[in-house]
Amino acid sequence: MTQEREQAAKSRPMTAPLEGVPLPDLELLPDYERGFWEGTRSGELRIQQCSDCSVFRHLPMPMCPQCSSLDYGWTKVSGRGFVYSYVIVRHPVHPAIAEREQVPYNVCMIELEEQDGLRICSNVLEVAPEDIRIDMPVRVTLVPAADEPDVVLPVFLPSLQ
Amino acid sequence: MVQTIIPADTNGIRDKAAIVGIGETEFSWNSGRSEIQLASEAIKAACDDAGIAPQEIDGLVRYDMESNHETLLTQSLGIKNLRHWESVSYGGGAGNATVGHAAAAIAAGFANYVVCFRAANLRSGMRLGRARGPERIAGGAQGFAAPWGCMAPAHHFGMFVRRYMHQYGATSRHFGWVAVTLREHASRNPRALRRDPITIDDHQNSRMVVDPLHVLDFCQENDGAAAIVMTTPERARELRHSGTPTLVEAAAQGSGPRNDGIIYRPDLAVAESENTARDLWARARLDARDMDALMFYDHFTPFCLINLETYGFVPPGEAKDFVEGGQNIRFDGQLPINTHGGNHSEAYIHGLTHVQEGVRLIRGISTAQPPSKTINRVLSCSSTAQLSGAVIIRRG
Repeated sequence: MTQEREQAAKSRPMTAPLEGVPLPDLELLPDYERGFWEGTRSGELRIQQCSDCSVFRHLPMPMCPQCSSLDYGWTKVSGRGFVYSYVIVRHPVHPAIAEREQVPYNVCMIELEEQDGLRICSNVLEVAPEDIRIDMPVRVTLVPAADEPDVVLPVFLPSLQ
Repeated sequence: MVQTIIPADTNGIRDKAAIVGIGETEFSWNSGRSEIQLASEAIKAACDDAGIAPQEIDGLVRYDMESNHETLLTQSLGIKNLRHWESVSYGGGAGNATVGHAAAAIAAGFANYVVCFRAANLRSGMRLGRARGPERIAGGAQGFAAPWGCMAPAHHFGMFVRRYMHQYGATSRHFGWVAVTLREHASRNPRALRRDPITIDDHQNSRMVVDPLHVLDFCQENDGAAAIVMTTPERARELRHSGTPTLVEAAAQGSGPRNDGIIYRPDLAVAESENTARDLWARARLDARDMDALMFYDHFTPFCLINLETYGFVPPGEAKDFVEGGQNIRFDGQLPINTHGGNHSEAYIHGLTHVQEGVRLIRGISTAQPPSKTINRVLSCSSTAQLSGAVIIRRG
């Protein structure tokens, strides 16, 4: 097979976040989660960080799992990281995914460079699913959700390193 | 911060409870009846097997996912005085844990005849494999997964599988050998939903649902119910299966460090059930070499490999070689896995059917009974999940 034919056999890359999927309701979120979404809406990827021992944590939680401090802040991170693990969803399980023909799509766990094991669930855009690899370097971009522009989703792009 | 996990290796339930009855409904895609009907039928069948009347039951251990509550069930079964009842959280994690809890209740003297059960229309009713939940999320792990399309169990568990493949070099073909073997076991089992044998090529050519998982890596989604009756070893001597008593030797439950959003765990190639395994072996004062057959919670086939490693049957990364070709894990092999066909091919009743099959093996009545060895001990355990449970049952 020539390189072009191999490329043509690949699935199309995602170019934007999924549409019609469940999104957080910014009014209903618990206080300790809001900083994440306030950050993306302000154009920054912010991760919860313990004010006492400086350990980052995601998922957001009220208390530091390392030092049990209840004080935390929201720190802007670089948005650079790598793919830790991923799946390629080929069968739609949500009506909006089926109706809007959004398969295949990828879901990736992205490890952020600030801390070992600090990861965020997201999508990698602009790359054919067959070309996604563990350890692939990526960088964040922030895109408003098509269905609710106040919810700004961090998604990732392949990064040249 | 507390850095070490302190052992909890006291075994207060050792040989204090016997499994005296097992029963189930037929397994189907559409039972055509209510979940309370299914529960009543399975419990009646288990009581018939034990040789007791349903009215004698005085303890119930249910899954907290179960729609049938003690109130309605005691009424349906005609129970005059329910002395003990409890619920165990989570689906696959609860399966073996209900048996451990029932054994503890019997050991403590809380009740004489305790029933563990699971009854659900998981195909014709609410399917776990379908994305569900509100269109607007009010917080929690779902809000940090669903917006990117991470919505179904296979999306979460596929993330573990990919990392495991990356770390240890396992391939989809290795998972295929598990599928082929479990289907072969099911082909001998008239209760099983999927009985047509498959080949490794069938597995490899089957539809890719959530890469790296083919459709033949998935468990079933079905309707049905299963129940287990337990009592003291002394009472068991007066009952139907007194000739082949089955005792609960040890049980354990465990969790990983992050159980709400499990895809956020520190190491996705390692199962949280390593904690469960450590406690189980310590309490039993046994190890992998003492087990004659394995009942692994096979929500997805790769977790049979991961469990082989987590529970110490093979060193980390070597399960792929152990399952290659299927001979080692067949009913007539060195370490039979899921001789009933498992969640993969028999039916998905949240792990309770695995304990039932362990009892059949000890009684010598499995439809895939190992031909050349006596089954004295069986391990039944969950796989990677929010929380996990495990139990060792033995010939009394």
